Amino acid sequence: MSLQAVLPDTISGLLGLEGILGDVVGGLVGAFLIANIMLIMTAFAGPWAKRKITAAFGDRIAVNRIGPFGLLTIVTDAVRLLSKELIVPEGVDRPAWDLAPMVIPFSALLGFAVIPMGNGIQLADPETGLAFAFAAASIASLGIVMTGYASNNKFSLIGALRAVASNIAYEIPLVVTAASVVIFAGSLRMSEIVAVQAEPLLSVAGVTIPTWFAFVNPFAFALFIIANLAEVGRNPFDIPEAPTEIVAGFQTEYSSVYFVLIYLGEFIHIFLGGAIAATLFLGGPAGPVLPGFVWFTIKIWAFFLFTQWARSAIPRLRVDQFLEIGWKGMLVLSFANLVLTAIIVGVIV
Amino acid sequence: MSLEEQQSDDPAELESGVSRGDELADLLGDLVVGREEHLNAPGLVIRPDEVQDALFKLRDEAGFDHLSCVTAQEYEDRYESIYHLTKFDDRTDEVSVVVPTSKDNPVSQSAEPVFRTADWHEREAYDLVGIQYEDHPDLRRILLPDTWQGHPLGLDYDQDRPQIATLREHANPLEEDHRAGDSNTMYINIGPHHPATHGVLHVETVVDGEQVVDLDSDIGYLHRCEEQMCQQGTYRHQIMPYPDRWDYISAGLLNEWAYARTAEDLADIEVPEYAQIIRTMGAELCRIASHMIALGTFALDVYGDFTAIFMYAMRDREIVQNILEDLTGQRMMFNYFRLGGVVWDLPEPREEFFEKIRDFIDELPQALEEYHDMITSNEILQARTVGTGVLPPEVAKSYGATGPVARGSGIDYDLRRDDSYGYYDELDWDVVVEDGCDNFSRLLVRMREVEESAKIIQQCVDLLEDWPEDERNIQANVPRTLKPEEDTEIYRAVEGAKGELGIYIRADGTDKPARFKIRSPCFSNLQTLPEMSEGEYIPDMIASLGSLDIVLGEVDR
Repeated sequence: MSLQAVLPDTISGLLGLEGILGDVVGGLVGAFLIANIMLIMTAFAGPWAKRKITAAFGDRIAVNRIGPFGLLTIVTDAVRLLSKELIVPEGVDRPAWDLAPMVIPFSALLGFAVIPMGNGIQLADPETGLAFAFAAASIASLGIVMTGYASNNKFSLIGALRAVASNIAYEIPLVVTAASVVIFAGSLRMSEIVAVQAEPLLSVAGVTIPTWFAFVNPFAFALFIIANLAEVGRNPFDIPEAPTEIVAGFQTEYSSVYFVLIYLGEFIHIFLGGAIAATLFLGGPAGPVLPGFVWFTIKIWAFFLFTQWARSAIPRLRVDQFLEIGWKGMLVLSFANLVLTAIIVGVIV
Repeated sequence: MSLEEQQSDDPAELESGVSRGDELADLLGDLVVGREEHLNAPGLVIRPDEVQDALFKLRDEAGFDHLSCVTAQEYEDRYESIYHLTKFDDRTDEVSVVVPTSKDNPVSQSAEPVFRTADWHEREAYDLVGIQYEDHPDLRRILLPDTWQGHPLGLDYDQDRPQIATLREHANPLEEDHRAGDSNTMYINIGPHHPATHGVLHVETVVDGEQVVDLDSDIGYLHRCEEQMCQQGTYRHQIMPYPDRWDYISAGLLNEWAYARTAEDLADIEVPEYAQIIRTMGAELCRIASHMIALGTFALDVYGDFTAIFMYAMRDREIVQNILEDLTGQRMMFNYFRLGGVVWDLPEPREEFFEKIRDFIDELPQALEEYHDMITSNEILQARTVGTGVLPPEVAKSYGATGPVARGSGIDYDLRRDDSYGYYDELDWDVVVEDGCDNFSRLLVRMREVEESAKIIQQCVDLLEDWPEDERNIQANVPRTLKPEEDTEIYRAVEGAKGELGIYIRADGTDKPARFKIRSPCFSNLQTLPEMSEGEYIPDMIASLGSLDIVLGEVDR
């Protein structure tokens, strides 16, 4: 099942285009499709699912007035947010202030280029796929620093500094833990990582359990999920925003469309975190009965649900405690995990 | 008063008051230049330049370690500051230190070196009445804007004078970057619009990175002239609605009791037992509602969002609110107490009402268990709150901290027991004290006090259920117009939701008080914030603020 045709090739094949024209048209149409899939998911997640999930945790009902289950809230919210005045405070550092709300969502969208979503939906499958996904996701930190620095607001500045500190502290454990998977899989190519996990691990009463790395190395999976939670800035690690402490952190000064873009970016980021976790540890789009894309969607939504659960139930750490856990706990554990994995793989293979 | 001795007409007060007054007058010796009798305590008149000597002596030699309140007022011929002193160990032992100052030079020595709490109280006296305090570290206006002209509670205050407080005249903290020389600190305005200030509180904070170096609370945004409004109302009916608006977060009946108790003692009204039980039950319901929201918003400050625990607290508080609505007809501004009783009896059918309360009490332990699972036993919450926002007992006493804040610092002080009123001394309950002195103990105190309140309510319901039908007297006979005698003065306090809520009234022979002073527990408690947060991180400062459980309506009045 290795090396399925990637999406642009399928599209150019369908359109009957060849050569450079085929590459360009296929690539653009494919990127358009994938970006829209993610934007639609975010539209459900942001104004609707998030409210419903949080409400369920807090014994409430949440939006239910407009449309079935309140679903049309998505439309009204979009109109509401887009029609608000875009307030540009005096003394902001343009164009950095205007660029940042674009950098944040687009960096997260970029990461999806290499994610195999099942049913052949994958924009590109380079040899260094995993490294690309992490690199693209990290660009968001740059956007956050831009917001914090350019806003000319002290709360924004503190938020941005916290974001930088947390990114440095948790990106390393995140990547190092992912490296332990790469040692197993022997490749950075996303499709190969998925393919390796399709092999059966063991069979219990007729049910075959695949070698998903979450089953092979649950410890690494737990580490990865925790680091990921910090990476996407959700409770207990929502330090950069910390509404009760520093108002809204780096996004304090943003309103209207810019606010929507930043929020969009955060949600796509959560999904990207879920997608990377699903690809590395949960067999990517693999799963019984249902088509691959449906399984992929279920998996990334499960991660989204998990972030919302954590948000509703777990108190926030203080910034120094947060960094302490990152440097003294996560970093050490992730390297221990890497070395152990390397030894085990070295001995077995 | 004048500098000559005065005698109270009440023989009981005379007997108990004078002997204690003599004792204290002997202790102070030449410092005492005159004597007075207040209904609650003997009054010692002290010269304005000897205030500190007298207070030091009273504190160190007679053990008066609690400066409950400072009342300032203006007479036709003089200004006067009254220091209401009492003891944390023996609340009923009270003394009023009266300091008259002349009209043309109203300067008096500050009590701040003796009691830290005098800092804000004297600033308020300066702001509203116009007495100057020598030796005061920071005598600025506190409730009114810096540019205000005149002192509104002074006798010659001109209400029609235009007050123009332009932004330019105001120190505008946004204007500069407030960087002093080479320092690495940053000035930051937390509030007046900030998610964690529980209202409109402005905390001027200087931070070094994430650490709080210095902070100064700027209050007064919600000042509604409550004292003056009470001075313009008649005793009988027109004052009672106002207390509901001080601590408006469901502590209404507790506040009303403060006025009821003071005015009833002033006019010598005896409240029927049945009404006292209803009052006690209603007040404790209010306490539960108030502590629930304190718990929820504290969790909100630490968790960071409107999360599950906040909603759970609100859900359970809602049941209490419904019961209070059944009882009083209102959800927020109850106006249920009357001088000499309450406005009406329990709602019919009584069985249904009792059933509702019993259901709530029965389910409460389960709800509290849930809270303990979610917050107090959560390791992250413990990491956040244990050992942060530390307020040592001596500091708390010096700042006049009361209520759950004092009890969270190991001070065993509760007016319901120590200066009993209502029906509390007939019931079986305990004062909750935790000695951790940190944010966590203040949280625990509130949670455990909810259990104690439930115990009290349970007993009240039992009593009310069996009360003979023909003895349900909810109201004593009170004259239609109350005119307490001229120059009677009284300071009385009750245990409000946030601490000691005291009221000072001076009667002038009319049907309205000549001076009505409110001692707000939040006002004194909020003063401790710098002690708790300097050197800590911003998040801990926010948590400490949350654990103080202030209501700005009561701080600013």
